Amino acid sequence: MYRLDVGEDAEERPPDRATSAPGGSPNPCDTHRTGPEETPLNEPAPLAVELRGITKRFPGVVANRDIALRVRRGEVHAIVGENGAGKSTLMKTLYGMHRPDEGEILLDGKPVTLRSPSDAIAAGIGMVHQHFMLADNFTVLENVVLGSEPTRGGRLDRTTARRRIREISDSYALGLDPDTLVEELGVGDRQRVEIAKVLYRGARTLILDEPTAVLVPQEVDELFGNLAELKREGLTVIFISHKLDEVRRVADAITVIRRGTTVGTADPRTTTAGQLAELMVGAELPTPQKRDSTVRDTPVLELRGLTVVAGGRSVVDDVSLTVREGEVVGIAGVEGNGQAELVDAIMGLRPPTSGAVALAGADISGWSTRRRREEGLGFIPEDRHRQGILLEAPLWENRILGHQTRPPSVKGLFIDRKGARQDTDRIMREYDVRAPGPDTLALALSGGNQQKLIVGREMSARPRLLIAAHPTRGVDVGAQSVIWELLKDARAEGMGIVLVSADLDELIGLSDTLHVMLRGALVATLDPARLTPEELGGHMTGAREVDA
Amino acid sequence: MTALRRIGPALLAPLLAIVTALVISGLVIVLIGESPFAALRVMLDFGDTPAQQTQAIVVIVNRAIPLFLAGLAVSVAFRMGLFNIGVEGQYRLATIVAAAAGAAVALPGPLHVLLIIVVAMVVGALWAGIVAVLKVTRGVSEVISSIMLNFIALGLASYLLTGPLRGSPPGASIITTAEIPESGWVPGLNGLLTGVGLAEPRTEMYGFLLVAVVAGLMVSVLIKRTRFGFDLRATGLSPSAATASGVDARGMVLKTMLISGAVAGLIGLPDLLGTSHHYGTEFTTGLGFLGIAVALLGRNSPLGIALAALLFGFLDRAAIPLQFEGIPASVVTIIQGTIVLAVVIANQVARQITRRQAERGSAQAVAPPSTGNGSTGGGQRPGGGPPPDDGPTTGIGTGTGVRNASGDARQGAGA
Repeated sequence: MYRLDVGEDAEERPPDRATSAPGGSPNPCDTHRTGPEETPLNEPAPLAVELRGITKRFPGVVANRDIALRVRRGEVHAIVGENGAGKSTLMKTLYGMHRPDEGEILLDGKPVTLRSPSDAIAAGIGMVHQHFMLADNFTVLENVVLGSEPTRGGRLDRTTARRRIREISDSYALGLDPDTLVEELGVGDRQRVEIAKVLYRGARTLILDEPTAVLVPQEVDELFGNLAELKREGLTVIFISHKLDEVRRVADAITVIRRGTTVGTADPRTTTAGQLAELMVGAELPTPQKRDSTVRDTPVLELRGLTVVAGGRSVVDDVSLTVREGEVVGIAGVEGNGQAELVDAIMGLRPPTSGAVALAGADISGWSTRRRREEGLGFIPEDRHRQGILLEAPLWENRILGHQTRPPSVKGLFIDRKGARQDTDRIMREYDVRAPGPDTLALALSGGNQQKLIVGREMSARPRLLIAAHPTRGVDVGAQSVIWELLKDARAEGMGIVLVSADLDELIGLSDTLHVMLRGALVATLDPARLTPEELGGHMTGAREVDA
Repeated sequence: MTALRRIGPALLAPLLAIVTALVISGLVIVLIGESPFAALRVMLDFGDTPAQQTQAIVVIVNRAIPLFLAGLAVSVAFRMGLFNIGVEGQYRLATIVAAAAGAAVALPGPLHVLLIIVVAMVVGALWAGIVAVLKVTRGVSEVISSIMLNFIALGLASYLLTGPLRGSPPGASIITTAEIPESGWVPGLNGLLTGVGLAEPRTEMYGFLLVAVVAGLMVSVLIKRTRFGFDLRATGLSPSAATASGVDARGMVLKTMLISGAVAGLIGLPDLLGTSHHYGTEFTTGLGFLGIAVALLGRNSPLGIALAALLFGFLDRAAIPLQFEGIPASVVTIIQGTIVLAVVIANQVARQITRRQAERGSAQAVAPPSTGNGSTGGGQRPGGGPPPDDGPTTGIGTGTGVRNASGDARQGAGA
């Protein structure tokens, strides 16, 4: 452990960011932060949140050790670190979800004891979770008040609620209509509903857990605009992320966590992403740079006029594409534009309304999912908990999942427990899955390790075509680079890969061909070699017409 | 040691539940003005003579055999997340048809019995198959359709009994099917009891015990060791993940219900082939519903179900002696009911505990042995939580209306 010398200590630095240009890449959301209205905070105010020597042990492991965190009122304070570094444990401590074994929590300079999230909410701390906790069939108003409903005569007082939500929405420029159904909202709006929920409960300090993970660049800009509004109103934001460029754009101060402890603070103005990454992982920031083209001539997957109609509209609209051996075909698009349905249709999980799917020349349109898998389709699903893994089953059973008919997990009609266990051991070794053993339950693994298990499992079957949907979503930098390397190796060996992702760097860096999906149709085919994330983002939102 | 650690939590929940249920039942007995300790004494009193004691054991085992089969039938479907509430109708219909078929033919001993068993299994499977077909083709909830089919099955059985399959003389007070010839009877196992030095009981222990044991072993192997069983359990744990892995959800529903129904068809046979030799208005009822309770108590594992069936048999035996002591027999029902309720709660608690243990285990798996300073000793403890072997699938997997915005509601669970 060493203390970082990049930038001065956060709390000593006057927060006059308004005049300072952020370093690094061009920054489209700069304007959000350069307003003249930014409150000067030069007078010594008590820290909004201070953690001193927080240590949290779980049986056999120290999840947090001697954590020091100093967050000033009215700043955006980023906490960065790999998945599994202890960010979540720390935030759970701060949100009262468990109590630290040692150390103090000070809010506005006063020591507090947080026994439950309600204590934290009462103390003005709110949490915006990474996965939204919203009821789709409720309106924005109902979602926001859920759990702390204003009542009049025992009934929900919609008038008061509506007025308060409008006030919140107006003063922080959230742009919410209280009476819209949440199911009609996009991801960015849903996130703003979550923020409104927290503000409605009177939070003065907001914890945002990986808020940009589900957003496209334009939505990220909007979010950062919202954060600037919050800051302007004197609220404090604790921003958890491992996307270093974003952190450097939005944060006033950065605290880095590695292996359960704070290893340093950094000034986003003077610290490069590389330096931050080095702090986080002790290694260079991985980039998904691919090597030379390995595209061969033989097509492995051909889609012709694939159309899926659901709910009266074409969620996949006349999609035709070809994936050749050794080729990575990227599918870019804002989530919910038919990528998931396209993947389902290729996997045989959803019958296409029309069109054909061919694998290595054979028409597989009528095949079952199992047959498709047996004949060489590999699948890394976008939501591993829903489609990729059995949480309450041991790892060796998860090794079998999706490969129930093939060695080494089965012998004839029977499960080969020994073979499956041994092969799970091998996957754990070769793909760096950190777990006590094959008998561990899958739910005991971190997201990155679960994902590495899935990738290892699918790769082990040597598929001809791999469908990788968001293969590095929610995994840490280390696991991310491992997975990228694996995909690149597989590509070099001639595997065809369909890569669906929301990570534009990943798409641009890994793909040989890039299609943009908008409202179910492929609207543009782009050359990833000459493309910036900003351009791609423009295509994804339909702002740019087909020009490629 | 490790085995104890492994199954400890699995045993803890049912034991805790039984103790809780006994305490509650004791309070009820106090409330009706009787002594709970007297009741306990009666329940544990198997009689004075060795013959009486063996007899008590035979009564318990004979009651436990059909309960075990009922629990087994329910559990097969449970493991896949299907609720076969229709076991009651399946076994009643299967038993009357099997009884009539057995009475209608004359075959050499083992073949005759085999025919009756096959007929019962086929009828049970077909009746359960209706539920599956309705679910797969029309999306009818199996809970609703299997309950409804119970009424139809009972009505149909009554019609068959009073009409085409009636074997008793007109005007007889008890209507039955015709008697199965002796070649279709299953001999008792009392030779086995006296062989190990126990006194000769008054009634025979059902030879069908062996069939039940074989059925239990087969189901156990099927679920735990075969590909089919893996698909079944995977579907029970996560229908979406199973479908994505290539499991044909519709086919699994059909196959699982057929197996469940086939096992259900066996439930009436211990009594039919062991003592009564005909199906009549006095034939044992309610076994199908008790089977649900037994499966819950046994946490869907064949061994657990066997223990649960023995416990229920033990409690049922006490019903008559309790009445001699002036304590209503319904005390037994109260105990059984509270056990089931307590088990459902205890299972959920145990499940959360194992889950939390496992999740805590995760932190240690993630944190690599720290390099540099040695402040976190590298002592990695093996093993997160012990795996709940027979997954507590009793937690009913209904979606909560709230879901993540990221995972939209494509394709509901399974079919």
